[in-house]
Amino acid sequence: MAENFLEIKDLRKSFGTGEARQDVLRGMDFTVGKGEFCVLLGPSGSGKSTLLNIIGGIDTPDSGYVSIAGDKLEDMDEKQLTTYRRKHLGYVFQMYNLIPNLNVKENIEVGAYLSDNPLDVEEVLTTLGLQDHKYKYPNQLSGGQQQRVSIGRAVVKNPDILMCDEPTGALDYKTSKEILALIEDCNQKYGTTIIMVTHNEAIKYMADHVVKLRDGVVRHNDINDKKIPASELEW
Amino acid sequence: MRNPLVKRIPKELAADWHKYAVIILFMVLMIGVISGMYVGHDSMLYSIEKGRTDLNLEDGSFELSHEASPELLAALSTGEKADVRQYFIDEGMEEADAEVADAIEEELNNQVAAGIEDAVREQCEAYGITDEEMIQAQIDTAMEENFEDALEEARNSDEFAEAVEEAYAEAHDAVIEAVDEEWDDIAEEYNLNDESFTPVPVTIFENFYHNEPEDHNNDGEEDGTVRIFRSDSTVDMASFIEGRAPETSSEIAIDRMHADNVGVTIGDTITVGGREYEITGLLSYCNYLTLHESNTDLMFDAFGFDVAMLTPDAFEALTSRTHYSYAFFYETKPADKVEAADFSDSFLKSLITQTLVDDNEIDDYLPEYLRQASNFAPSDIEGDSTGTSILCYILIAVIAFIFAITISNTIDKEASVIGTLRASGYSKDELVVHYMTMPLIVTFVGAIVGNILGYTAFRDVAVNLYYQSYSLPTPKLTWSSIALVKTTVIPLLLMFCINLFVIVKKLQLSPLKFLRHDLTKSKRSKARRIPAWSFMKRFRIRILFQNMPNYAVLIFGVILIELMMCFAFGLPDSLDNYGEKAPEMIFADYQYMLMGYKDSDGNIITTSEETAEEFSSTTLLYPKNHNDSVRSGMGSGGDESVTVYGIVDDSAYVSIPADMDEYHLYASSAFATKFGLKAGDVITLNEEYENKSYEFIVDGIVDYDGGIAVFMNNGNFNSVFGNKADEFSGFFSRNEITDIDDEDIAVVITVEDITKVTAQLNHSMGGIIDVFKYVLIVLAAALIYLLAKIIIERNEHSISMVKILGFRNSEIGSLYIIPTAIVVTIVALISFVVGYFLMIWIFKVFVLQMDGYFAFYMSPLSMVLSVVYLLIGYAFVSIIDFFRIKKIPMDVALKNVE
Repeated sequence: MAENFLEIKDLRKSFGTGEARQDVLRGMDFTVGKGEFCVLLGPSGSGKSTLLNIIGGIDTPDSGYVSIAGDKLEDMDEKQLTTYRRKHLGYVFQMYNLIPNLNVKENIEVGAYLSDNPLDVEEVLTTLGLQDHKYKYPNQLSGGQQQRVSIGRAVVKNPDILMCDEPTGALDYKTSKEILALIEDCNQKYGTTIIMVTHNEAIKYMADHVVKLRDGVVRHNDINDKKIPASELEW
Repeated sequence: MRNPLVKRIPKELAADWHKYAVIILFMVLMIGVISGMYVGHDSMLYSIEKGRTDLNLEDGSFELSHEASPELLAALSTGEKADVRQYFIDEGMEEADAEVADAIEEELNNQVAAGIEDAVREQCEAYGITDEEMIQAQIDTAMEENFEDALEEARNSDEFAEAVEEAYAEAHDAVIEAVDEEWDDIAEEYNLNDESFTPVPVTIFENFYHNEPEDHNNDGEEDGTVRIFRSDSTVDMASFIEGRAPETSSEIAIDRMHADNVGVTIGDTITVGGREYEITGLLSYCNYLTLHESNTDLMFDAFGFDVAMLTPDAFEALTSRTHYSYAFFYETKPADKVEAADFSDSFLKSLITQTLVDDNEIDDYLPEYLRQASNFAPSDIEGDSTGTSILCYILIAVIAFIFAITISNTIDKEASVIGTLRASGYSKDELVVHYMTMPLIVTFVGAIVGNILGYTAFRDVAVNLYYQSYSLPTPKLTWSSIALVKTTVIPLLLMFCINLFVIVKKLQLSPLKFLRHDLTKSKRSKARRIPAWSFMKRFRIRILFQNMPNYAVLIFGVILIELMMCFAFGLPDSLDNYGEKAPEMIFADYQYMLMGYKDSDGNIITTSEETAEEFSSTTLLYPKNHNDSVRSGMGSGGDESVTVYGIVDDSAYVSIPADMDEYHLYASSAFATKFGLKAGDVITLNEEYENKSYEFIVDGIVDYDGGIAVFMNNGNFNSVFGNKADEFSGFFSRNEITDIDDEDIAVVITVEDITKVTAQLNHSMGGIIDVFKYVLIVLAAALIYLLAKIIIERNEHSISMVKILGFRNSEIGSLYIIPTAIVVTIVALISFVVGYFLMIWIFKVFVLQMDGYFAFYMSPLSMVLSVVYLLIGYAFVSIIDFFRIKKIPMDVALKNVE
């Protein structure tokens, strides 16, 4: 197992007050190694998206901490958090959130702009199979193609961690596998640490590290020694 | 690497071009008109100001009854007062000497004749002659033979010399005594004993003129008077708007404004003083920017009065009386109006005395700063800036408001993209800059295009408005830094600040909230319950509730629109109303202002007209709030001119109590309304050009909306202002007064003069108001378009959704358009009331900046129209909305594409 890169320690988070109070994270502990493909698995309401948001620095825990390469996010102010996301993180959402009036290539440039060390935009377009569509606007693309663009926008930054929140949630089986293969590629080719939130059990087989969540706590924290390529996944 | 978000800007402009086109149109129109007004003002004022120096505008002029002698001109140039006392003594002595000489001669003749007669009678008696006839014959003979010798002898006698000396001395003493007695009166009248007198040296130029009858259509009937000057005059010169100066004796150049009004132009022939002349040029004299024939005229008359230029030969050939007018220039220019007044006072003293000692007479004297013909137009133009500024601020507020809602709308629409970008590491600043760019670009483009139009097309609109009223010189385009600041820097700054505020506030939310489209700070805890109405009705109510924030914006917008409508309709209505009410606003059908209360023989002027009633009047200044005005002086908004009337007891024209104390008065209702005066208030009124103030107590209000005036008892008036007890300024009368010499009357004010003023106001302001009206209606239409568009845009997702569910376009239209229509109608009515009262307030502030008073008024028809126009505008927008709804695709809801 690779060295500890991401450490999650006794993370707690709740929403609402009084009777409406809902504990989403109830003391969560685990670590992720550098270059790992980590899948956070769990049913709806298990706290996985909240966890991902806290790791991404766009949400804060009530207690506990997240540290990345030894730096605790709770010690960072707003500006430092922005820099942290800018320098280290890439984001892929279930809804692609592309900028409607920028074309494919320009949407990817939006990511490249943020990085001191971006990948070549053309190369990313080729890798993602978007060369033929690079001058199209998001509304001229299918869902899968839009998700490719969204991955391109995240990957082109050459981030240390790629955060993926249900990236295949809105896609069909075939397209989902293509997208997963792309994320896998990114992990292998650039050594990017992947943290993927999903409720799709099948995806765990392609991961190095599987964290199963339920009711805000870690139920299983497993290292997968027999991972299989995305293309061989079945569900 | 350049921020790729920049690439969105042109695309966004292209994609939403109609919205931005409307906003830019809005900006261009607004900025263009305002910039045009400013540039027009400034160019006009600059040209007028430049004309003053380039065309040698006098510092003042005087007219004498006959041509001034070189000695008089030389003496006047020094600015010194003449030794009037010595003059009177010399005159008196000369007269007395002649009288004494005559008396002595007569006495001597008598005495010598008596001596001869006595001697003859004595001799006859000695010879015993008693026959009287013989005696008489002897006397006659002796007279004939000896009279002259005897006379000569008597003249040479010591006694005679002694007697003569005594007689002259006695006569001289009497002369000095008489002069001294009279001198006190003269000196008092003209304040000649003033010890603080400082001579003001001047340079004097001839500027003779003739007043000739003008017949511009050559039909043999006199159409008006034309004042003719020489073409080689070097002072008070004219600039040519078209054509050239006359070169031959049969050519003439006339005033451009007059030519326009009476419909003649270059090449036409007019008859002046019985001779025909061909018009070769249309000009503007620097001292006749408005055609005031006399400085006491209440309003200029560009139809019946004209100024013109002839060659020196043609001028000399004119047979009417020459007006010996002289223009003078101070050697040292006065620094300000107060000094100009001091200089003028000093020079007048010199003029009075010097003309007196030179046996000439003053027919007219007018310092430049009091000349209506050259000061009326610039002060009116300056006054218009106030109105323009107010419009400018209202409209900038409108634009800022439009942008604020547009941007907040865009941010809402792009919430998830913003969330993603923020999550990806875009900083808040980068996004703030990004969202700020568009409004700033649009404002910048609007300001640039608007200013270009302002400096070209709209400037000419403004200039033409003034050209319709005044005889102005050709304006030279001037760079108006104030216009540029007000129309470029201020809108940009305002855009910057307002957008920064709105965007920073909007982007305060966390990336997560954006990702979740959770853009409200507070959450509604309970759902509203709606009675069991029909489904569609409930649906509409839900839509109404759901869009409350949008409707709040709409309400604000509609209030602004109604405010603009009230302005557009109310301004012309107010002017018309003033014109209609004018006849009620005059105390008396005739108001005769006299030159003085005594005629030239020193008799108090009286009239046999039964309805005539004496009154006194003077003008003082009421200090306005000085904080907001840097200008001062005539018509500038610095101080308000107040006419102070002295009213006789039991007046038939103005009803005030007869027993008021000395420093007590009644204020006109216009004065009271404009400055919020009430009984018991203490007001301070100042002399315009003297350092003298008076404090008065307001005892009550007189119902008089025609002017800023105060009324006091005539007796108090005379004692307060140091007048003689029987002094007065003129007569109020119901009928025309026919038994007062014209030369004793300064001006007669009748109802026609008041309506003439309003007609002139309408003529001068009518054009401007029309421009405002149309611009405001276009702006109002643009605003309602943008507001309605926002409501539909915000509901795009829901509309798409209900389409998927199977609702027909007509149903969706009725769901989304009807609630908005109901809201717009209710709000339009409420907004009208708000706008109306807001306008009354704004108008009050606006009128406070100007001289005089007129109240804001809207006719019932205008009130209805201001709401109806808005609703018609909204009806059109609803049709567009319906097509918008029809065009919303169903995949908006499905694809979840932004």
